[in-house]
Amino acid sequence: MIGPEPTSAPSPEAARGLRGIDLARVASRSFYIQALFSAERQQGSGFAFALLPVIRRLYSGAAERGRALARNMGFFGTHPVLAGYVLGLTARLEERRARGAPIDDAQIEQAKRSLASPLAALGDPLFWVTLRPLAGLAGILGMALLPLGDSIGPDLRVLVCPLLSLLTYNAVALRFRIVAVPRGYASADEPGKLLRSLRLAELKRFFERVSAFAFGSLAVLTLWPMTESADPAGLGPAHTASVLAPFALGWIGAAVGLRRWPGRNVELALAAALVALILSTRV
Amino acid sequence: MFSELSRVALLGGILALDRSAGLNLMIGQPLVGACLAGALLNPGPQWELWALRIPLGVGVLLQLLLTDPSLPAAQRPRDTATAGVIGASVAILCLERLHPYLPLTTGGILWVLVGTIAGLLASVAGGWMEAPLRARNQLSASRGEELLLEGRLAAFEALYWRGVARLFLRGATWSAAATVAGVAAAAVILPPAAQLVTGPRAGLIFAVLLGVAYGAGYHTHVRTPRHGLRWAAMGAIALLLILLHRHGASS
Repeated sequence: MIGPEPTSAPSPEAARGLRGIDLARVASRSFYIQALFSAERQQGSGFAFALLPVIRRLYSGAAERGRALARNMGFFGTHPVLAGYVLGLTARLEERRARGAPIDDAQIEQAKRSLASPLAALGDPLFWVTLRPLAGLAGILGMALLPLGDSIGPDLRVLVCPLLSLLTYNAVALRFRIVAVPRGYASADEPGKLLRSLRLAELKRFFERVSAFAFGSLAVLTLWPMTESADPAGLGPAHTASVLAPFALGWIGAAVGLRRWPGRNVELALAAALVALILSTRV
Repeated sequence: MFSELSRVALLGGILALDRSAGLNLMIGQPLVGACLAGALLNPGPQWELWALRIPLGVGVLLQLLLTDPSLPAAQRPRDTATAGVIGASVAILCLERLHPYLPLTTGGILWVLVGTIAGLLASVAGGWMEAPLRARNQLSASRGEELLLEGRLAAFEALYWRGVARLFLRGATWSAAATVAGVAAAAVILPPAAQLVTGPRAGLIFAVLLGVAYGAGYHTHVRTPRHGLRWAAMGAIALLLILLHRHGASS
């Protein structure tokens, strides 16, 4: 335990503890934690900004508050969705310190880092690499699965598809954001136990599988109508091959290209469009 | 045009905040941005058939093409938040203004292509503009620390909110400016090339781009995760069985 609760009676000035509303304010400010993101401090400025309601509650003088915030403004980097756990933990330690517990700057910094680094290491693959692409895929699948409706009326899929994306992502991410600060505050003495209880690695594995399964379904949903497209000349398999060939070439080209040049999606897409344009003028 | 651009700017600003300020509610994703832009810029009942399907098409292509499965630190700087808005806005505004000069039988496919290419280019150019913003943030952070050490908490808070406003304004101005540039470029390039722009050509390029998008999707959803191919095959087989069952029942 870092800085046990002080046993001696605190001074009346320092006796003010944190309330639920203070933690709620911290949670709401954590949604802007990256607004002053920079290479030197990463989310450090945002961390201090989010912690401001806590510091205002715990300290009375402007100079004291300023110093307390300034010591929380150094380098800080974690996953933005999970930053609330570190904010909650820091709020608890600052509260103990304000009430007279022997906690120094280094101890708070050490506790912050011990939670922030694993949260970043587990959160980035879960939210950025797995859940966000899956949410996008859910929206695209919505387009393929939902009936078109009236062929000349408004296409409601334009609202349903983004809604599916938003729901898929936020059903997971928003839950973490809402409970993060109070849970970080409550588990300040057991960060290891807190980390294990989040089960981030298990969630990632589960969403990876759902994502691959959904992509397989999407591929079939896209290819099926292509094989059934109108064949006015009665060419049969030759017609199907001519419909599928450009799509298949694009797919194979991108899959091979991205293995060779990962992250060059835009360049590959523009190059493929250019090649297709040139080919189309010659065929 | 002013009313449309102000809507584009408002949406672009909000989406830039979602992506850069830390909100991360998914509204900054290309599919969501493109669909919202399509709903906001709906040009009226005379374009009803395509007006909403074009942003959907642009959004789907950009969503697959701009999803990078690398960790953020390893990714190239791409502004994926405003790309969807810019792509869909360019497509819708071009549809309204240029369609009479380019009457294709394949209709909206051309505008989906125009919007997708505009979105791709906008994502690259928007990414370049992140670097000066980060440098500015660094200066603001240093100033913020000075203010805190002086005990001026309110000034620090105001400085931080100005940083938030800067993100919004950057997204808003970039979205509006890139939309104007995209529509202007299309107006200069497309009408003189009307003879070359045919339905089959647009269809071929669209099919290739769709294939590239699915190749990028395969890279993200199947190749990157462990056992991805196994789960993708299970998904494909499950759906194939359902489709064959329905096909058999209907015939």
